[in-house]
Amino acid sequence: MRHPLARWCLAVVMLGATPVAAVAQDAGEHNPADLAKTFSNKPPYSPYAGRSFPTRPLFGDTHLHTAFSMDAGAFGAKLGPADAFKFARGEEVTSNTGQPVKLSRPLDFLVVADHSDGFGFFPQVVGGAPAIMADPQGRKWNEMITSGKGADAALDIIRNFGAGTISKAIFPVPGTAVYRSAWQQAVKAAEAANDPGRFTAFIGYEWTSNTAGNNLHRNVVFRDDATKALQIEPYTTMKPLGSDDPVDLWKWMTAFEEKTGGRVLAIAHNGNLSNGQMFPMVEAFGRKIDRAYADERAKWERLYEVTQTKGTGEAHPYLSPNDEFADFEIWDKGNLDGSVAKKKEMLEFEYARSALKNGLILEQKLGVNPYKFGLIGSTDAHTGLAAIEEENFFGKTAPQEPSPERLTKTFFADPKTGIKIMDWEVGASGYAAVWATENTREAIFDAMERRETYATTGTRMVMRFFGGWDFEEKDAHDRMPARVGYAKGVPMGGDLQKAPAGKAPTFLAAALKDPIGANLDRIQIVKGWLDAKGEVHEQVFDVAWSGARKPDPKTGKVPSVGSTVDVANATWTNTIGAPELIAVWKDPGFDPAQRAFYYARVIEIPTPRWTAYDVKRFGNTPLPGTRMTVTERGYTSPIWYTPN
Amino acid sequence: MKAILREPLLQFVALGALLFLWFEWKGGASGPGTTRIVITEGIVQNLVSGFTRTWKRPPTPAELKGLVDEHVKEEIATREAIAMGLDRDDTVIRRRLRQKLEFLVEGAGGETPPTDAQLQQWLDTHPHVFQAEPRVALRQVFLSPQRRPTAARADAERLLARLRRAGRDAKVDALGDPTMLPGELPLGPVSEVSRTFGDKFATGVAALEPGQWGGPVESAYGLHLVLVTEREAAPRPALADVRPLVLREFLAQRSRTQLDDLYKGLLAKYTVTVETPREPERKQAAASTAGSVRQ
Repeated sequence: MRHPLARWCLAVVMLGATPVAAVAQDAGEHNPADLAKTFSNKPPYSPYAGRSFPTRPLFGDTHLHTAFSMDAGAFGAKLGPADAFKFARGEEVTSNTGQPVKLSRPLDFLVVADHSDGFGFFPQVVGGAPAIMADPQGRKWNEMITSGKGADAALDIIRNFGAGTISKAIFPVPGTAVYRSAWQQAVKAAEAANDPGRFTAFIGYEWTSNTAGNNLHRNVVFRDDATKALQIEPYTTMKPLGSDDPVDLWKWMTAFEEKTGGRVLAIAHNGNLSNGQMFPMVEAFGRKIDRAYADERAKWERLYEVTQTKGTGEAHPYLSPNDEFADFEIWDKGNLDGSVAKKKEMLEFEYARSALKNGLILEQKLGVNPYKFGLIGSTDAHTGLAAIEEENFFGKTAPQEPSPERLTKTFFADPKTGIKIMDWEVGASGYAAVWATENTREAIFDAMERRETYATTGTRMVMRFFGGWDFEEKDAHDRMPARVGYAKGVPMGGDLQKAPAGKAPTFLAAALKDPIGANLDRIQIVKGWLDAKGEVHEQVFDVAWSGARKPDPKTGKVPSVGSTVDVANATWTNTIGAPELIAVWKDPGFDPAQRAFYYARVIEIPTPRWTAYDVKRFGNTPLPGTRMTVTERGYTSPIWYTPN
Repeated sequence: MKAILREPLLQFVALGALLFLWFEWKGGASGPGTTRIVITEGIVQNLVSGFTRTWKRPPTPAELKGLVDEHVKEEIATREAIAMGLDRDDTVIRRRLRQKLEFLVEGAGGETPPTDAQLQQWLDTHPHVFQAEPRVALRQVFLSPQRRPTAARADAERLLARLRRAGRDAKVDALGDPTMLPGELPLGPVSEVSRTFGDKFATGVAALEPGQWGGPVESAYGLHLVLVTEREAAPRPALADVRPLVLREFLAQRSRTQLDDLYKGLLAKYTVTVETPREPERKQAAASTAGSVRQ
């Protein structure tokens, strides 16, 4: 690749200016004469030399709590940020309940995102300011914790926090020595664990807006190191220093960037527990959803955490009655603390797919789409352990670490509303996959900004998704789908514009199973669009599947792959499904005048759920209705089509 | 009159009145235990700088008033709480005091940086902590059992014979079946091989002679013919390469030792009597430990 002309040719190919067939390495299509014409010099021997696109997705968690989070600490978390990073890097640690635990494989990156409100409450702040703990409420919780009722204390804290009834004297606020010291410790842990090229430890925190129990939480991730992050202290939700309004968080982010020259992004999660507040259409916090709101949200919130332990929020069966895979680890009983029950009409403003659709309406109206987000998954574990593999699930909170009791215990219950969530309903999900060019803070952050990400429910399948105007069937047989994909189209998270006359968008979708996981059932493409009447629609297409199954001639749906799960023994076999699937798909219903988005969803064959492993290992009996199998899956960031 | 002046009670009252006047004139005491709270310029500056750190701008007058009001409430609450003795016998406060003490000791240890000789010695006595992984580079040709349900293994054997004849520089782009798996892995840690292809494949590759096509190696995806192009044993770490890691471990060890020494020293000042708990409680404790480590 030293020859200037060869380098120039490669650059042109990368820009998609020449047809990629000229460099495709598939034997069937390879034509030496054409090659000779295009390249006056021989291409480099190694097809990988000079390659500038990412070749392996990086897996991580952007949302992990440690003992520094007030509620995690109350639940009994002892592991701090340094332990969390150590575990994510693949080392064995001792869990909060004294059990040895290790990941099957290291993660590539981690954001420790402890709650900014009451940062360092446990263990540091609980004792940090004696006068603060002299508060009767603080004393009550302290006594609950020391007498072994930490979980009840934690739930009471979350309830009071949501209701805004935590005594102001209890929470350390920015500007105090206690708060500063906790933030310094968190930043220091990330700095010590960050190992560019091998493991990325991000500095971050969670801004936990939870007014009236409606979950509007955001994780804030820093691109930079301690020199910038220590110029500030995290933004909180409690007045007068903080605010529960996301608009104020964005102002804080703007102020941070202006002041330090650094970069930050925010990732919202659990719209499913926001009771209709996560993706507003008309107004929020007493202000109209206008162009300024759309601009700011689109700028700061380029990703959405679509799956985690507290439920998966891609789609809901009520909103997507024709999608037989929409019913996945759904939490739809109420808001975060169960203080207000769910009403059906709230769902539209809570789930990612409907928000992506509504975003098209807002874009038409305001000129900017506030809900143009990519997708990631993360754990939201409050244990310092990003351990959400089904057979290695260490729960959402310390009391939910493996024990014979967790299968049947109550996670929380509100006697007033009757809302009750059982521990078994907690999902072992998810991870964030990022197509970054290298494993560094900068490269991963930038990939997040361009939404080149996908969410998984805990599996480490590899997913590729490209959109363009010229993908053809033979591209699905190319030796290097990524090269064709980048050359002829845009990757997940990208945009399609300027539809060539008479052409419809084409997509290259490919998936490779997790090397130690289950085979794949199918690849689907989900399309959402806005019609001429201003109404939004969605459709799910099966585009690639294992075996010789035939789609139903009427519905186009591919029949079920079946199941090999032996629940009693918590085993399955890869005798059904395929290790690898790839397809080129063309939108059959494209209208160049209509806004649309497309994303890929890949479904694995059924495998035992964590509950099945518990029954097998502890020999206990699950409650009636406990789900014992799961179909793990991945969701790519969408590719949007916008008419000129 | 003289007698009256000599009356102790009167003297006491007069002294009290004088003291009162003096304190009034001086501006009064404002520390803990008094009912006077003075928000000094220094405190206000602290509040302002705390706000500015968060917001990157100074507070407005209204915001500043809010900050001051909060501070006053906090000060009142603190004094009242201490007066009521709420700080005594508080586990959390005790824990925090211990933490502060330990932090002081640990902090003191971090101030004298270790010499290179000390670090080298640490590295020599703990080489396994810093051991890098062996590295490997490979090329592979994939055969899919999906595409060749019955013939994959036989095809692999035939292909292997061809590849061996062609040797290291065999052109493999058109051979085997298409896959998303990489055809080539540049020189990197062996864990990268198992992350991409799975453990079974990595184990298979470990048995291959470098420089010669081998296999078929089985993976979760199918069969692979593999050429290990390079293999490097794990290098013995040089201090220059792993200095930050060694330093981190060295300092961690030093603080642990210092803490142990501190407690050993302090313990000598005390006489400690432990009353052993009665039998049933001990049994219960043992049972709960057993329960929590089961898995």
